[in-house]
Amino acid sequence: CYELLEAMGMASMSCGSESLRLCVFDLRRGQNEGQELDKILFFYPPDLTFSTQLSVIGLSEGLITFTRLFSPEAACEVIEAERHSHVFFEAEPDIWMVMIVEKNKEIEAIWRVDALRRMLKEVHSLFVMFHGSIRALLEKEPAGGLIRSHLHPFITDYLNDLSVGKKLQLPSFRETLKERGTVQMLTLARDAALEVQSLVGVLDSCAGTVRCHSLILFHDLLVSTTLSPDDTVDLFTFSVMRLTTNAVSSGTSSWSYLRKGSSLSQISSRSNSGQLLGSSDPLPSGNGNDVGRVIRPLQQDKWSKGKDGFLVTDIWGKDATPRIYLQQTQERVYLLTYQHKSLTLVLLVPSAAIVNGELDISFVKHQVIENASAKILKVEEKLSKGWGGENAYHVSGYRYLLVDNDMEVSRASPPGKVATLAKESLLALSKLRETVDSEKSRTKQEREMEICIRAKNNAWAIARLTRGKELYMALEKASETLLDATDSVQSFSNRYCSGAFSMD
Amino acid sequence: MSPISESYSHVSIPFIVSSHGDRSSLKNTNHQFPEETSRGLFASNSKLLRFCLNLTLRSNPSLFLDSSPPSGFSQFIGESANIYFIHSNFAFSFSNAAGMKEKKSATASTLGRILATCSKQAKDYGSCVASKVHEVERDICLKEFLALKNCMQHTRHLSALLNMISSSQSSVGSGALSHVYIQNPPLRCNIPESRGLFYDDANRLLICTTSSQIFSWQTAPFNPDVSPSVDSISEGPILSIRFSLDKKAIAVQRSDCEIQLFHRETKQILSHKCKAGSESILGFFWSDSPLCDLAIVKTSGMDLFACDSMLNLRLVETKKVNVNWYIYTHETRLVLLASGLQCKTITGFQLSTAGVVRLPRFEMTMAKPESNSKPILSSGDVHLVTVYGRIYCLQVDREAMLLHSYRFYRDAVVQQGSLPIYSSKLSVSVVDNLLLVHQIDAKVVIIYDLFVDSRAPVSAPLPLLWRGNQGSGTSSEAAIKENESSESSTSNGNIVMYEDAWTFLVPDLILDQTNKVLWRVHLDLEASWLLLAISASSSDRTSLLEFLQRRKLEANKAKQLCLGIAKDIILERRPATQVTQAIDVLVTAYSYSVKAGTFKEIKNEQTTAATPAVGASPDNERHVPSESSIDEEVEMNLPSGSEVNMFCADEQPESQLSSPAISPDELYKFVFASVEELMVEESEYLVAIITEFLRSISAEKLKVDLNVYVMTIRLLAYSKRFAELSLFTTNKIIEPSKEVALQLLESGRQNLRVRKLGLDMLRQLSLHHDYISSLVQDGYYLEALRYAQKHKVTSVRSSLFLEAAFASNDLQHLAAILRVLSELIPGFKETSEYFTFYGLLSETGSSVAL
Repeated sequence: CYELLEAMGMASMSCGSESLRLCVFDLRRGQNEGQELDKILFFYPPDLTFSTQLSVIGLSEGLITFTRLFSPEAACEVIEAERHSHVFFEAEPDIWMVMIVEKNKEIEAIWRVDALRRMLKEVHSLFVMFHGSIRALLEKEPAGGLIRSHLHPFITDYLNDLSVGKKLQLPSFRETLKERGTVQMLTLARDAALEVQSLVGVLDSCAGTVRCHSLILFHDLLVSTTLSPDDTVDLFTFSVMRLTTNAVSSGTSSWSYLRKGSSLSQISSRSNSGQLLGSSDPLPSGNGNDVGRVIRPLQQDKWSKGKDGFLVTDIWGKDATPRIYLQQTQERVYLLTYQHKSLTLVLLVPSAAIVNGELDISFVKHQVIENASAKILKVEEKLSKGWGGENAYHVSGYRYLLVDNDMEVSRASPPGKVATLAKESLLALSKLRETVDSEKSRTKQEREMEICIRAKNNAWAIARLTRGKELYMALEKASETLLDATDSVQSFSNRYCSGAFSMD
Repeated sequence: MSPISESYSHVSIPFIVSSHGDRSSLKNTNHQFPEETSRGLFASNSKLLRFCLNLTLRSNPSLFLDSSPPSGFSQFIGESANIYFIHSNFAFSFSNAAGMKEKKSATASTLGRILATCSKQAKDYGSCVASKVHEVERDICLKEFLALKNCMQHTRHLSALLNMISSSQSSVGSGALSHVYIQNPPLRCNIPESRGLFYDDANRLLICTTSSQIFSWQTAPFNPDVSPSVDSISEGPILSIRFSLDKKAIAVQRSDCEIQLFHRETKQILSHKCKAGSESILGFFWSDSPLCDLAIVKTSGMDLFACDSMLNLRLVETKKVNVNWYIYTHETRLVLLASGLQCKTITGFQLSTAGVVRLPRFEMTMAKPESNSKPILSSGDVHLVTVYGRIYCLQVDREAMLLHSYRFYRDAVVQQGSLPIYSSKLSVSVVDNLLLVHQIDAKVVIIYDLFVDSRAPVSAPLPLLWRGNQGSGTSSEAAIKENESSESSTSNGNIVMYEDAWTFLVPDLILDQTNKVLWRVHLDLEASWLLLAISASSSDRTSLLEFLQRRKLEANKAKQLCLGIAKDIILERRPATQVTQAIDVLVTAYSYSVKAGTFKEIKNEQTTAATPAVGASPDNERHVPSESSIDEEVEMNLPSGSEVNMFCADEQPESQLSSPAISPDELYKFVFASVEELMVEESEYLVAIITEFLRSISAEKLKVDLNVYVMTIRLLAYSKRFAELSLFTTNKIIEPSKEVALQLLESGRQNLRVRKLGLDMLRQLSLHHDYISSLVQDGYYLEALRYAQKHKVTSVRSSLFLEAAFASNDLQHLAAILRVLSELIPGFKETSEYFTFYGLLSETGSSVAL
C-alpha cells in the first residue's frame, strides 16, 4: 500500500518545491467507471494531471472504505507512510478533505496531525460560513461546476495566507503552544466588562426589534460575543485574518497564529508575484458552466476603513454588504464591521431586519454611530487603559497553552516568549500533545489526565487535562525535579486558572 | 349635574383664561409670552397623548391593529390644545389604578375606545381651540367641548372611568384638578374683637391682638386644632409684634418711634424710643447672632442691640444706610434694606449665628417703561426664599413682566435669570424646595424647580384648590357630603381664592385677613407628577425622576412614584438608553443620600418608629404597632415582588422617610423582580437593562442584591444566550456566590457548559460539600472522591460515591472507593454501608483485592 502510494504521483510532487497536497472529494459521486473525475471537487496543486489527482483520491477513498469496515462512525484519521502523512477529515457526510504532507529530513517538517486536521476543519468552517455547505452547493448544481468554482479560489486564498516566500508554511512543532480553532480572549476587569456588555446591549438593538448578534475584538483578542462558540470561532478567525486593525493595516506585526511570520516576510510574500492566486487572476469558471461571479471572501488586502468608521470592501461587489451563514441558527446575516482605533465591532444583522437592502443597511450603520459611539469611545478607552500589550499574558518562567474545549477558548504564552524555548523542549511538547491527542480520541469521554515527560535538554513537558480543560506547559529549568515541576504547575493552576488543574 | 361633569366644566383651561386675560396689560412689554404659553401647551398635549397612547397600545395592542389609527387622529394630536385637561383627568385614573394591572389596562383600552369613537368630536374641538388659541377666554369652544364630552360619556365603560377619576381626587373641594391646594380645615383665630393678625416668622407664631391681649398659635407643625396661648398687654396701637427667640419677651412696635418690650414672666415693660422727627422706625426683628439680640430698622439705618435678661437694650452697632423699606425673614436671617429713588438699591446683612455679614450692595433690575416715569420697587415685590439650602431673592419687575431671581453667596449676589409672570400681583411660596409662584390676578400657581438650570416651569399653571378633610374615604360621594357639611358649618363657601386680603407668609402659609384663617399650602405630588409626566417628553422621564428624587416632604410618595416610573418605562419597553438614564438617576441619588446619611433602610424604620421621634404627633405613635406588622408582611412577601406589597409600603407614615432614594435592593424587588414575569419573553431587553443597572451600581461602588444575579442567569438561560452567560460569569459581571453557583447548576441542566461554570464557581468558593455532591451527580465520582480526600470533606454521604461506582459497574472503582472512604472517615469500616458494598464486592468479583 505504501509502495503504491509512493509510486503514485510523488514524483510530480518533488518536481515542484511543493510538499503539500490538499484535496476535497465526494464519495457519493463518480462511482461509475469513467466518471471518476466527478468526485474531485478541489485539488491542490491544481496543475497536477487528472490521473495523478485521481490516484491520490482513489487511494484515500480506498483507505476510507477499508477502515470504515472496522469503524463505521469514524473512519481513518491519519495514515503515516514512510515519506508522507495523510490527514483525513470528513468535513460533511461523505465529503472528505485529505491533506498529504511530505516528511522530509528537515527538522521543521515535523507536524502534529491534529494541528493539520484543525487546519482542514478551519478552512471548511470558513467556507461554510460564507457559502453554505458543500453539499448544499452540490445539490444546487449537481454537475459540480458551482462548488468547484467556489472551492478553488476559497482554499487557494486560504493557503495564500500560509505562504512565506514560495513555500507554504504549515503549522509545525514550533506552533505546539497554539490551538487552531479556538478563540483568544481579552481578560476584562469587572467595570470594563460592564461597559462592554452595555455596548453589546446597544448593538443588539441597532436594527430595531430584530436582535443583532455582535462580536467585539480588541487588537486580535475577543472581548465579547453573543454567538454560539462554534460561530464565534469562525467569525473570530475571519476577523483576525481580515478585519481587525492589524489585518486591515497589513504590515503591522501580529502575534496571532492566524497570520504567519514577521511583517517583513508577509510583505515580501504579498509583493511576490508567486502568489498562488493573485487577486488580479482571472476567476476560474467551473467546467465551462456559466455560474456568474464567484465571491472570494478570503482575498487579501481587500478591506479598508471607510470614512464613517465602517470597513468597506468590494469583494461582494461595489457597495454590497457581505452576508454570512450562522451555523447554529442556519440563518443568513449581514456582516457589518465598525472600527475605532484597536476596537473592532462585528455586527451581524439578520436578513429579516433588512428589507430594503442597502437603504436599511445604512440605517443600521447610522443607528450604530448614533447610539453606540459614546460607548465605543468609552470601551476603547477603558480597554486601552487596561491593555497589557502583546505580552500581557506572559507568565514568567512558564511557557504554556491553556485550552478550554467547552468555550473553545485558548490562551498561550506570547509567541515571542515561546520562541525562546529550545527546539528539544518544543519537540518534546509536540510529542506530548500528539500522545494526548491520540489518548483523547481513544476515549471520547472527558477524563482527567496528567502526563509529564522529560525532554533531552532536561526540560519538563507537562500536560494536564481535567473536565474539558487542557493545560500544556514547558519548564526548562534543568535542576527541577518532577516534584518541583508539579508544584510549579500547581501554583500556576491556582494563580491563573482558579485552581482548575489542581489535583493530587 | 353629577360631580364629575361639574369637574369638567371647571377644568376648562383656567390658565389660558388667566394668562390671556392680562394681555391688555402686557401689551408691548412681553411679546414672547403668549407664544410661549401656547407652545408649551401644544407640546404638553401631544406628549400627553403619546403617553396615553403608549399605555393604550401596550395594554391593548390589538386596538389599533384591526382598525388602524382612527382617521383624524394625528391631526387631533397636533391641533388639540385644551383637551389637555380632560386628559389630565384620564391620566389621573391611570395613576390611580397603577397598582392594579387589570384595571389599568381596562382604563387604557377605554381611552383608546374613546379616542377611536370620538375622534371626530375630538378633532373638532382640537381645531376649534387651535384656531382660537390667541383669543382664549373662559369656556372657549364650549360647544365643541360639550359635544366631545357627550360623545365620551356615551362610550361604553366610560362611566367607570369617570368614577375612577372622581375618586382619585377624593374630597376635592372645587372639583378641578390641580397640583397645589390648601387643606381644610385651616387654623382659625376666632377671637372676638381682634384688632390685628400678625405672623412672627422667627417663632412661627400666628398672633392675634385684641385691645389687651395677645393670642398666639404655634403654626409649626401645622395643626388646625392647636389652642392659642394668651398674654396680657397694655393697651395701645400695635404696628408689629414679635416674640423673642426664647419666647420670654414680646416686642411690640407702638409707633414709628417707639418699641415696647414686655417680659412675659415678670410683666416688666421697657420702652425704646428713637429721635422723633429725624428718623422713624420701619420695623424690628429678633436675632440669634452672637453680636446682637434685637435689630431695629429705621429710615436712617439699622441699630443692633444686645438685650439682657432684664430687657435692658444696649446699642452694639449701627449700620448707617438710608432706608426706604426693608424685608427680613428669619429663615434666611437676611435683612435687605432698600434705598434710592426707585428703592432698587439694596444693602443686605445676614445676622446669622456665625456673625453679621454685610452683603455687597447691589441694584435690582427694573425695566424702563415707555413713559419717563420711574417705577418704584416696593417691599411686596421682593421675596426671600430658601430652596435646597440656597438663598434666593425674587423680585417682581412689573414693566418687563418678569420675576428676577438673585442668588446670595457670602461675598456676591448673582442674578440667576428670570421667570415670566402673568399677573401684576404676585406672591411666592416654597413647598418642599419648590418655588410656587402665585399669579394672583390669574388665580393660578406655577411651580418652578430652581435646582435645574432651565427656567421652565415644572408644570403648567393650574388653579389653587381648596380640599376637604384629609384622608376622607375613597368614595367620592362621602367626600362630597363631608365637604358640604363642613362648608355649612364653617362657611367655607365664602372662600375666594387669592382674594385681596390674602397675605403670603414664609415659607408656605397663607393668611386670610378677612376670614381670619391661616392656610397651609400643600403640593399634590402625585398630581404634579402626572402633569409632569404628561408634559415631559419621553426622554424627560429622567428629569422627572431627578425632580422626584429631590423631594423631601412626601419622600415616600416620591419614592413610590419613582418606582412606578422606573417600572413603567421598562414595561413600556422604552429604548435602553432612556431606561439607563433613569436608572443612573436613581442609583446616583441613592449613592448621594447614603453618603449624606439621609437614606434609611426600611428595616431600620421599625426601630426608629418604635422610639418616639422628636416632634412625633401622638397619632404617629398610635400607628406604630400596626405599622410594624405591615413592615413584616412586606418583608415576608418581598420575593414575590407583587405590587400589592408596594402599596403596603405606601401606607407607611411619611414622616418615616426622609429621602425618596431607592436602594438597589428595592429597585430589584419592586422593579426588576416585579417585571420579570411579565417580560420573560423579552428577557434580552431586560438583561440589557439589568446590565446597565449593574454598571451604574458598580460605578457608584455600591452592592447589589444577589438575586439580581440569579435573575440574570435565569433570563440568559431562558433565552439560551449561553455564550453571554459564560462571559457574564467569567468576567465576574455576575459576582460569584453560592446562590449564583446553584442557579448556574440549575440552568445548566440544558447546557453542560453552564453547569460547569456553576461547578467551577462552587470550587472557587471552596464550597466543598456542594461541589462534591454536584460532581458525583454528574457521574464524576472518582474526581469527587479525590477532591474529598484532598480537602478532608466527610460531610458528603459516602453511599453517594459507592452507589455511583456500583452503578457504573466498575468493581475496581468500587473497591478503591471503599478503601479511600475507610481511610477518610473514621469508623467507616463499622458501618452497615461498608458491609453492604464489601459484601457486594466479594460476591461479584473476588479478584479485586481490597
